[in-house]
Amino acid sequence: MVLSRKPRLAVVAERAGELSLAEQALAHVDELYGLARHLCQAPSDAEDIVQETYARALGGVARLAPGANLRAWLFRILRNCFIDQARRKKIVLEIPDDTVGERAGSEAWDAASLDQLRYLAAADLERALAELPVELRFIVLLDAQGFSEAEIAEIARCAPGTVKSRLSRARDRLRVTLKESR
Amino acid sequence: MSELDPNRSEADRLIAAALADHVRRPAPRRLHDQLARAHLAQRSPWRTRISLAAAFALGAAAAAAVAVGVVRPPAADAVIVDEAVGDHLRIIDAQHPLEVASSDLHNVKPWFTGRLDFAPPVSFVGDDEFRLRGGELAVFLGHKAAAFVYQRRLHTISAFVFADAEPRPRTETTERGFHVIAWSAGGFGFALVSDIGWDDLRLLEARLRS
Repeated sequence: MVLSRKPRLAVVAERAGELSLAEQALAHVDELYGLARHLCQAPSDAEDIVQETYARALGGVARLAPGANLRAWLFRILRNCFIDQARRKKIVLEIPDDTVGERAGSEAWDAASLDQLRYLAAADLERALAELPVELRFIVLLDAQGFSEAEIAEIARCAPGTVKSRLSRARDRLRVTLKESR
Repeated sequence: MSELDPNRSEADRLIAAALADHVRRPAPRRLHDQLARAHLAQRSPWRTRISLAAAFALGAAAAAAVAVGVVRPPAADAVIVDEAVGDHLRIIDAQHPLEVASSDLHNVKPWFTGRLDFAPPVSFVGDDEFRLRGGELAVFLGHKAAAFVYQRRLHTISAFVFADAEPRPRTETTERGFHVIAWSAGGFGFALVSDIGWDDLRLLEARLRS
């Protein structure tokens, strides 16, 4: 499985054959925390699921096949940890129907509005992300982490076609939300 | 506007670039430290993930070595003491308040609900000699644990509770200047850590056991 944008630490770890599997796994803490922080409202919840991810990984590492995609495996565990936490907190994971996606394609993007996107404030992007249903947010954030659609399908345990359609819906909603917030 | 509108595609590209910049956030230093302590230990399963054939060969060699007294099997108790002192240092060095800061056990215990996969069997609410300050999450043997923090005069005492099915003998150890009392009961492991004297630490142990 080819990764399109690996974090520098992971690349360094893989090149250095002497680094242990644990050290390679811990090179992904910031990435996992970044994703968790965008999924959870509270920083402490994000820390909890990263801790839980590594605890579960420790328990399952003996079953990890040689040459397996360690990074994708850790993200899949993180997803399971998040789902468990969301169920405990009664967070809705299903993607509700709404009218935001239906408005996609009708918004007009001229040079001035594209310029606004070039200088997009982090807070605006954060708000638009927060408005996405959790499942769509998860998919679009994995895409932003550099995972291919095939890898995302493996992590989210769904068909590649589902990933493609969810990515498209997520992008539509982000675009409409950001345009309408201007 | 058509599906192939180039401005719309450019908008998607700009949003994707902004997301890629935005998605990674540095994890807190303490999270890095906790994970490193829990997962980089020499006896961590991460380091012992080897092929079955190699495991068999190594196992046979290790068993032979133990049988002839060349090496002794590693004691998990040493890991517990090391993790207890490490987590205690993290608690006393922290620049931030405890994750749940309260002198009321009925506030502290419920805080762990949903954060742990067990209910810590602690019923000592604190008293004039050992004031309860609050609680934190910790990591023991690769699993999340509860830390109850008590105060004795100017000294901080951490009481760690973790799920541990293996019965262990009670131990008293001094590591890096800290006294550690560890024991197990009812499927749980307990570890008390502080720089107070042994007598004071044993007093708290008695209160926690009662």
